[in-house]
Amino acid sequence: MPVDDIKPTRSGLLLVKRRMALAERIHRLLKMKLDGMMLELVKLTEQTARERRMLEEQYSRAREMVAVAAMMEGATGVLLAALSVETSPAYTAGHRNVFGVRLPELEPVMVKKTLDQRGYGILGTSSVIDDAADAYEDLLEAIIASAELEGGVKRLLDDIERTRRRVNALEFRIIPDLEETRRFIEDRRDEMERQEWTRLRRIKKIKAKRAGRL
Amino acid sequence: MPPPGAISPSYIYACTRFRVRRTTLLPREDYLRIMGMSIPEIVTYLGRRDYYGQEIVDLAHDFAGAQLIEEAVNRNLAQSFRHAMAIAPGDLRTLTGEYLNRWDIANVMAILRGTVHDVPRRQVRDLLIPAGEIDGALLTRLLDFTTCEEILEALQDWRLYPILAEYYRICGEQGAFARIENELYRQYYAGLLDLGASGCSGCQELNAYLRFEIDITNMRNLLRLHCAEEACDVRVIDQTMIPGGRIPIDLFRRLYGIETEGEFVSAFLATDIAPVLAQAVRELRQDPNISSFDAAELIWQRWHQRRRPVHEIERGVTRIRLHQLESLSRRHPFSVLPVLAYLERKKYEIANLRAIARGKAFGLPSERIWQYIVL
Repeated sequence: MPVDDIKPTRSGLLLVKRRMALAERIHRLLKMKLDGMMLELVKLTEQTARERRMLEEQYSRAREMVAVAAMMEGATGVLLAALSVETSPAYTAGHRNVFGVRLPELEPVMVKKTLDQRGYGILGTSSVIDDAADAYEDLLEAIIASAELEGGVKRLLDDIERTRRRVNALEFRIIPDLEETRRFIEDRRDEMERQEWTRLRRIKKIKAKRAGRL
Repeated sequence: MPPPGAISPSYIYACTRFRVRRTTLLPREDYLRIMGMSIPEIVTYLGRRDYYGQEIVDLAHDFAGAQLIEEAVNRNLAQSFRHAMAIAPGDLRTLTGEYLNRWDIANVMAILRGTVHDVPRRQVRDLLIPAGEIDGALLTRLLDFTTCEEILEALQDWRLYPILAEYYRICGEQGAFARIENELYRQYYAGLLDLGASGCSGCQELNAYLRFEIDITNMRNLLRLHCAEEACDVRVIDQTMIPGGRIPIDLFRRLYGIETEGEFVSAFLATDIAPVLAQAVRELRQDPNISSFDAAELIWQRWHQRRRPVHEIERGVTRIRLHQLESLSRRHPFSVLPVLAYLERKKYEIANLRAIARGKAFGLPSERIWQYIVL
């Protein structure tokens, strides 16, 4: 029932009071959720920044390793080794629940491979290819870990924004409106009470006057 | 036919030609000059040279920068090796063919993998270096086939065909190509060693050189296997070690299981690799006090930490091997050794130019690039 439709009656007042209690409880809970999410965001952001730095380091290392591989084996040798890959790396996507927010959880599949799984022959390649493959596998893992964390931060930020809007709506709109309605009903009811009292006194006076005349 | 013990004139002629060709390879000063150039300057420099000029001009409209240099030097390598095959007589020709099989293996494996994994033909074609016995026309024909069966059928005349035929049943299986590739290389070395045992002039020295190369390759691959997170079984060691070296495969098997420093160092010092490794480290670090024991300790450190060989030291060992080959070829001027020395030097000239171009393209400092140059 909208606030405007509430009648200035006792039941109306009870309804408003009940709604206010609920709104305040929700407000308190959402504020707690917001604080919790903020803490989680700070933690996650630090972890993401760390992971991002690691990703950049892995990228530089991978580039250096592939440069050395291209120097020693030629781009042709590197491409031939790359051509040998039989199973493409992948990931599985899941989620974990943090304060009701579904944060992504990515699990690398066949990213880190053994020499056997890489598909190239040991005798046809040299250790620079292993180093380059290792560096790129590490880079791919770092990308997946980074994507998981950055995706989590993004979702958490979206939810913080949404929750903050709800908290603000409760704090600055719904609760003040309900407060105003409560005050209005109380004032109305006081007014009505005063009117009733005045009417009763007046009736009493009239009755007393009539009794004196008789 | 020349009498036994006498060297045939065609041999002398061919060996002299190979020696003359070796003098046309880039000297140290030219490398120093190239190191100071940018990539466009290197392209211009190579374009002006007799040996690379035509390749640069031919490929300039398709490629640019480091890619142009790599493609041009690869094409030059293929052409030089085909020319070497053409001028080598008798045994020398057989040896050259056997030696050049390495490129055939790489080409055939690229085509097989490309066919099975459905890689665009043009991409596979760009990876082929027709420097072996299988000429460009046959390689192009192989590229047109769509199944392994057709490729194998067309390769029936290839000297390593029996290996392919034997392993064909597992063609397309997970990890099958790696096994086929390893087996082809094992057979490649077996073929070279057999040829070295034929008793030709300089063959004894050639075999010694090859056996040392096999030892180095085996040791390097053992380090690579040891780096893996999961321990491999004896079967994998047997499949990846090349037989025929001076160090028996049993020793490599034993080395793989050693986890104590003393045992490892004493086993390693018993091999011929330690003194050469020590020399390579001495040259790389400019420290004359490094002994074989220090080199063994260095290997132990890498082994213990499950790390791969240092690439710069690998290059240092290659330098020493080539130097030894060079000395042997001077001692036996009319044998298979000058041919092999030329082929190896040419291979490393190409590798050097490629390393400079790629290193510069990736923006590596000159000092770092220089460590990968084999002179």
